Order: sequence, then C-alpha cells, then structure tokens
Amino acid sequence: MDINILLVDDEADFVETMVKRFGIRKMPIDSAKSGQEALTSLAAKDYDVIILDVRMPGMDGLETLKLIRARAPLTEVIMLTGHASLEAGMQGMNMGAYDYVLKPADFDDLLDKVRKAFERKQLNAKARKQGA
Amino acid sequence: MPRPANRAPEPASDPHGDPKGILARATGARLWKDHSLLLWAHFLVPPVLAALVVAATFATPILAGILAAIVLGIAAVSARGLLSRLSQTEEARLALNTQLIQSQKLAAIGELSAGIAHEINNPIAIIAQEAEWAAHLIGEAEKGCSADFAEVKDSLREVRAQVDRCKNITHKLLDFARKREPVLQDVDVVRIIEDMARLVDKEASYKNVTLVRSLPQDLPKLRTDAPLLRQVVLNLMTNALHAVDTGGRIEVSALADDEALEICIKDNGCGIAPENIDKIFNPFFTTKPPGQGTGLGLSMCHTLVDGMKGKISVASKPGQGAAFTVRLPRRV
Ligand SMILES: Nc1ncnc2c1ncn2[C@@H]1O[C@H](COP(=O)(O)OP(=O)(O)O)[C@@H](O)[C@H]1O
Ligand SMILES: [Mg+2]
Repeated sequence: MDINILLVDDEADFVETMVKRFGIRKMPIDSAKSGQEALTSLAAKDYDVIILDVRMPGMDGLETLKLIRARAPLTEVIMLTGHASLEAGMQGMNMGAYDYVLKPADFDDLLDKVRKAFERKQLNAKARKQGA
Repeated sequence: MPRPANRAPEPASDPHGDPKGILARATGARLWKDHSLLLWAHFLVPPVLAALVVAATFATPILAGILAAIVLGIAAVSARGLLSRLSQTEEARLALNTQLIQSQKLAAIGELSAGIAHEINNPIAIIAQEAEWAAHLIGEAEKGCSADFAEVKDSLREVRAQVDRCKNITHKLLDFARKREPVLQDVDVVRIIEDMARLVDKEASYKNVTLVRSLPQDLPKLRTDAPLLRQVVLNLMTNALHAVDTGGRIEVSALADDEALEICIKDNGCGIAPENIDKIFNPFFTTKPPGQGTGLGLSMCHTLVDGMKGKISVASKPGQGAAFTVRLPRRV
C-alpha cells in the first residue's frame, strides 16, 4: 500500500536527505518549503501523512497544523522539531497532531511513526464511511 | 456526524455503565434484593423476642431479665450492621455521583465554551483587521505631515497584542471542546511515555529537574487511541514540571494487571491544597498567574480518559507533591 507523504521543512539539506532515504525504500515523498506551500500542495493532492516542522519562517508549524486539520481532517500530522519546545509540543498535540519527532530524527523511528499514522488514517476513514 | 456502526458506545449521559451495577460492585452487592431475608429478620426478630419477654414476665422475672438482655443485644448488633451497610452504600453512591457529575459537567461546559469561542472568533478577527487598517492609515497620514503618531501606534500595537491573546484563548477552547472519537490501535505505551518524556527532558534540565522513568520493558500492548494518550501523558508531565522546584524529581511509571494498564506520574512539588483537590479537574481552574495557565489541561485529560473508558485519579499531600494515576482498561 502506497502512502502519500508530504514533508514540510524550510531546511533544504534535511528535506533532500529525507527524500533520498524514503526513496531508497521505494516510498516517494513530496516536499514543501513553507506552510503556505504545504497548503497549496494539500489543495492539489490528498495526503495521508504530513511531516511538519514546527519552526519555519513565515507561517509557523502550529498555524499550518491548524489549517491542515481544518482542511483535511483525515490527514495525520507528525510534528518535527529541532528545539524541544514543551509548550509548542503540547499545543501541537492538543491541536490534533498524531505524534512528535525530535530532530535529529532517527529515520527508522520516523518511518515507524509514519506507518502508524497511516494506519490510523485508514481506520478513521473506514469508521467514517461506515458511520455515513 | 453519525456514529460508526461497528462501535456502540453507551449513551452519553451515562459513560460509566449501569449505576446500579457499579454500586453493587463498589459495595459488594448489598442491595435490598440480595438481602431481603436479612432485612425481614432485622425488623421482625426484635418485636417477636420482645413479645417473648412480656410473656416470660408472667412466668418468672429472672427469665424475663435474661431475655430482655438478649433482645437488646440482638437489636443493637443488627442496627449496627444495618447502619454500616447504609453508610457504605451512601459512600459508593456519592463517589459514583461525583464521577458522573464531573463527566456531565465537562461535556456541558465543553459545548458551551465551543459556542462562545465560535461566536467571539468573528468579532475578534474583525477587530484585528480594523486595527491593522487603522495602523496603515496612520502610516499614510504620517508621511504627509510632521505630527507624531507614536502613541497612537503604540496603542494599536497593544490592541493587536490583546487580540492575539483572545484568539489564543478561543483556539484553546475550541480544541478543548473538539469531539474526539477514539480510534483504536495497538499502542506501545512505554514508547509513548518515553517519546513524551524526551519532549519534557530539555525543559526539565533547565530547571535541574530529573525525570525518572520506571517502565517495565515487557508491558503488554494496549488497544487505545495513541494521540489521545500522548496528550494526557504530556499534559500530566508538564503540570508536574510546573509544580516542582529547581532540583525536583518527577517519576513516571507504568504497570499492568489482567484488567488494566496503569500509568502514574508522580512529583515532589508543591502538591495540591485540600480545598482545591475537588476543583482541579474543572475547566478554567488554575492556580497559575494569568497568561500562564488556562486551567484546561486536567479537565481535558479527564474528558480524554473518559473517552478511552479509563479513570484518572489524584493523590496529594500539600508540600509533598502529587501523583496522578491513569487507569486504562485492556479490553474495550
Ligand atoms: N502535579 C501537580 N502538582 C500540584 N498541583 C497541580 C499539579 N497538576 C495540576 N495541579 C493544579 O491543578 C491546576 C489545574 O491544572 P490544569 O488543568 O493543567 O491547568 P493549568 O496547568 O493551566 O493551571 C493547576 O493550576 C494546579 O494548581
Ligand atoms: Mg496544565
């Protein structure tokens, strides 16, 4: 089963490495450099999991998370941060993020979380279909 | 939104199951039905014996005396038994009531606050826009003349700052009231705790606080809603971190029995005053200065744990810290 993944981070090096590493596992992922760009991508494609950096110039991660949750409630979001900010972490979780990963992210850990987030999205979609 | 058909949750008014059943479990089933014989005996034996005493008075006063003593004894014993049963039942009823009331209160307040937040969001957005527009106009006016608008601009900045604060509150309220239909997955609780603890670690180290994990590596997986559990754990750990002084200690532990999995977050901080312990799960109850606490953390935890069909409880001695325990059923 293919997972539609979008990585949102302003750090070009990090994005490049991640795209490569997912690619090696035959899991192509899309990327966006900002919250604004992420929302544009989201309007064009139905993503299963979005990996979202908390600290970005312009629209920050939490603001972006809020808009993602409003526009695509089924899409699961994993927050990513280099600076462990407890307050931001709590806000993110309270705003409906699926999980949190600290940078430097352990790739296998991240992959595992992406899979779990995807599983949840599918369960959620199934429950909604049955409820509708 | 209609509920999913494959899950049939109990009616919202009664999230803890049949109250009579809980009462019976809590008191060890001492209800009228199971004990009608005993109660009949309790009411009938003393008058029968008393009648015997009267009859015996006519025969011999000594026999009457002995019988009277026996009657009094039996009546006293049975009255005591009845009393203790009654008070046990009463206690169980009270405990049950507080739980139900708390859940219903939270649901009602959640709805109310979502309504208010929703209504207030629009005017707040308009105020923000207008303030921005006014700032723009002043900027334009400034270009053409030599007058100093610094104070007006300052005041507009303040308007913006306060509007942002309001927005923050309404958003927290909306999050608080957001209905979360749990999605069940196999969850590695140890890992969730460890992940959330790592988020707290850095901030804890600034305060020189140690966050101790006592987590068995063979803890069974739990079928529950992962992000909800993360939220609960993170909120409880954050509260503990706020409660402890520099150099304090927080301990997170977990254990499982056949029925449930228990997570305990214990700190050696300021503890909770006895007069507050009944209030801490209420929305908006906070002892933190304005701007630092919203008082929504614990009430949200309560609602989330309810949703996971679990229980959250607290034990605290003021000055000696607090321990929050979340008990989640292994089969839901
Ligand atoms: N671990 C703890 N130790 C002492 N007091 C606590 C602890 N956790 C919560 N409290 C008390 O409960 C109140 C409500 O907590 P909460 O609902 O999380 O809101 P907030 O953290 O915004 O104040 C706190 O203001 C505090 O007085
Ligand atoms: Mg709190």
